[in-house]
Amino acid sequence: MTVEQDCVALDQFPVGMRVLAVDDDQTCLRILESLLHRCQYHVTTTNQAQKALELLRENKNKFDLVISDVDMPDMDGFKLLELVGLEMDLPVIMLSAHSDPKYVMKGVTHGACDYLLKPVRIEELKNIWQHVVRSRFDKNRGSNNGDKKDGSGNEGVANSDQNNGRANRKRKDQYNEDEDEERDDNDDPSSQKKPRVVWTVELHKKFVAAVNQLGFEKAMPKKILDLMNVEKLTRENVASHLQKFRLYLKRISGNQQAIMANSDLHFLQMSNGLDGFHHRPIPAGSGQFHGGAAAAAGMRPFPPNGILGRLNTPSGIGGVRSLSSSPSSGMFLQNPTDLGKFHHVSSLPLNHIDGGNILQGLPMPLEFDQLQTNNNKSIIPGNSMAAFPSFPSTQQSSLPNNNSHLVLQGHPQASPSAFPGHQINKRLEHWSNAVSSSSSTLPPPPAQNSNSIMSHQFDDGSSSYSIPFCDSTIPLAPAMDTNPRAFYRTTDLDSNANVQPGGVYYDSLQMRQSGNYGPTTDALLSSNAKEGFIVGQQKLQSGFMGAEAGSLDDIVNSTMKQEQSQGDLSEGDLGYGGFSSLRTCL
Amino acid sequence: MDALVAQLQMQYRNYTASLYQQGFLDDQFTELKKLQDDASPDFVAEVLSLFFEDCVKLIGNMARALDQTGTVDFSQVGASVHQLKGSSSSVGAKRVKGLCVTFKEYCEANNYEGCVRCLQQIDIEYKALKTKLQDMFNLEKQIVQAGGKVPQVDN
Repeated sequence: MTVEQDCVALDQFPVGMRVLAVDDDQTCLRILESLLHRCQYHVTTTNQAQKALELLRENKNKFDLVISDVDMPDMDGFKLLELVGLEMDLPVIMLSAHSDPKYVMKGVTHGACDYLLKPVRIEELKNIWQHVVRSRFDKNRGSNNGDKKDGSGNEGVANSDQNNGRANRKRKDQYNEDEDEERDDNDDPSSQKKPRVVWTVELHKKFVAAVNQLGFEKAMPKKILDLMNVEKLTRENVASHLQKFRLYLKRISGNQQAIMANSDLHFLQMSNGLDGFHHRPIPAGSGQFHGGAAAAAGMRPFPPNGILGRLNTPSGIGGVRSLSSSPSSGMFLQNPTDLGKFHHVSSLPLNHIDGGNILQGLPMPLEFDQLQTNNNKSIIPGNSMAAFPSFPSTQQSSLPNNNSHLVLQGHPQASPSAFPGHQINKRLEHWSNAVSSSSSTLPPPPAQNSNSIMSHQFDDGSSSYSIPFCDSTIPLAPAMDTNPRAFYRTTDLDSNANVQPGGVYYDSLQMRQSGNYGPTTDALLSSNAKEGFIVGQQKLQSGFMGAEAGSLDDIVNSTMKQEQSQGDLSEGDLGYGGFSSLRTCL
Repeated sequence: MDALVAQLQMQYRNYTASLYQQGFLDDQFTELKKLQDDASPDFVAEVLSLFFEDCVKLIGNMARALDQTGTVDFSQVGASVHQLKGSSSSVGAKRVKGLCVTFKEYCEANNYEGCVRCLQQIDIEYKALKTKLQDMFNLEKQIVQAGGKVPQVDN
């Protein structure tokens, strides 16, 4: 997609590219302006470097490229070059009558992306757009790598479009097509984002069945994959899941109790990133525990299933999972009957856990309250969770936002998006720890587990805070803003300035394209790589947003809608890419 | 009328060709003419006007820099020469540009006499070019007024 989109974008792209030309020589400036117009670029000229800086500072997204003379009376061209590179991160082309290689070298060392000699010919100017594309592409690539590795902010958001777009698209497709998505943060660190797979109960059932069939010791990812026969599941997904599965088994083998009713869900929870959070024996009386929070925290989009209404049921998380898994995950389930308890687990939290939006959903706060009052003495006050109950009102401040980029845009609803789940997780953990004495067998919840989706990093303030599906914690807001469609809450989220990698150019394209909410958002998210936005989150968010509306049912509905829109968005990834291209094209 | 137009056009062609031949103008001037279109019908004239303004300014700077009692700041002279070189090359003022190259060398060598000589030559040269181009533009006007089209002369 990216390629096509890029192609499309490129077809238009050089046209209208916004260039700022700086030269104190009026003759040359006039000629340059005319030449650039001939190339169909949009040109702004100034004969003073200082003025140029002002123009650039005034609106970082106003220009795509700067062409500057080297010898200028008010400021050295190289100095201007440096400043532009630092402050605005735009490609700069040097222009000079000096053909001396040492000047060219100086240009290179100061960061110029090209050096043209006067007199400038139109042929040379016809290709300068490549520098804009290249710079964005490089940024994107860089950010992809960053995301992949630690989910922390990326540099050069601008270019993320292409790669991210592709990843996004894949992701969207995944979402749309089935719920079987898996989130593999630590899978293989490729530069492209991989579509996340969520190990739902169904999927896990198949997985377990395949493993059983092959024999636990002999189970190999490839064979398991073949046996499972699930579309879009990759060998890597299975391999990663298998690994976690094995670890899980090891861990629980020493703890019968922990395994009990929760085993299946437990594993799923863990494998879905709730590592360390593990057992939560779900006491019958803990109905209040919304577990949903925990579920929300770690659970990935759970198939929307009216369960949402059951948020209040005990073992929210476990409950959800156990729903379908009880019968088949024999291997894990030690106490099938207990699973029944989980039937009520609300899928709500699970579904939207990523964004934590769900948590934010109205129901949550209540639940948390209950949770807190009833069971959570151990709830960590420091957690933003504590603030959860008051979630609707002001979440951001309460959320420990380790990542400055996080949603904490001051958006009450928006903020919790990433965190709530996280928080809930922690709370659940504490809760369960408090409740169950066997918690000792589990690794301390807050374990910084960069691998876990619901990593507690959040609390730790590690930059790799990762919410399921989320690579980073950028508020989706920006994306939302630009894409009116999918987000319910678009307006709520503050958009990060970062959202705009490239500036107007892309934006406009994006807008045009966006029927797809998703892509845009993703794109935006990606583009905010620097900020570390959560791609998945976005989706959740959108769903979440809807959820805010109120009842669990709404949430479920919104989830469903989200799924739908995600489907729509599948092109979104392209959109994302398109987004980027839009940005440059514009 | 047509005969007049034809005649003017012929005159124009010859004249312009000679400018190229005599080295007053080079390919860059041709490029400049290509940029002229209906949207900017007087583009070439505009740019050349700007160029001549620059000439006046820069030559004045050079003269001032050279005309200093005491030590001459050749780098300052050189800076102005450099700029003139840039603009002359951009408009296709071949001879002026050639002189700038020489001038620059003298500056770098701190050759006062050489610089002064170059300065004088440049002064003469740009004025000569100005006159020639003026004549050329006049011919163009006449052709247009006579109802004809200005022929394209690419050297």
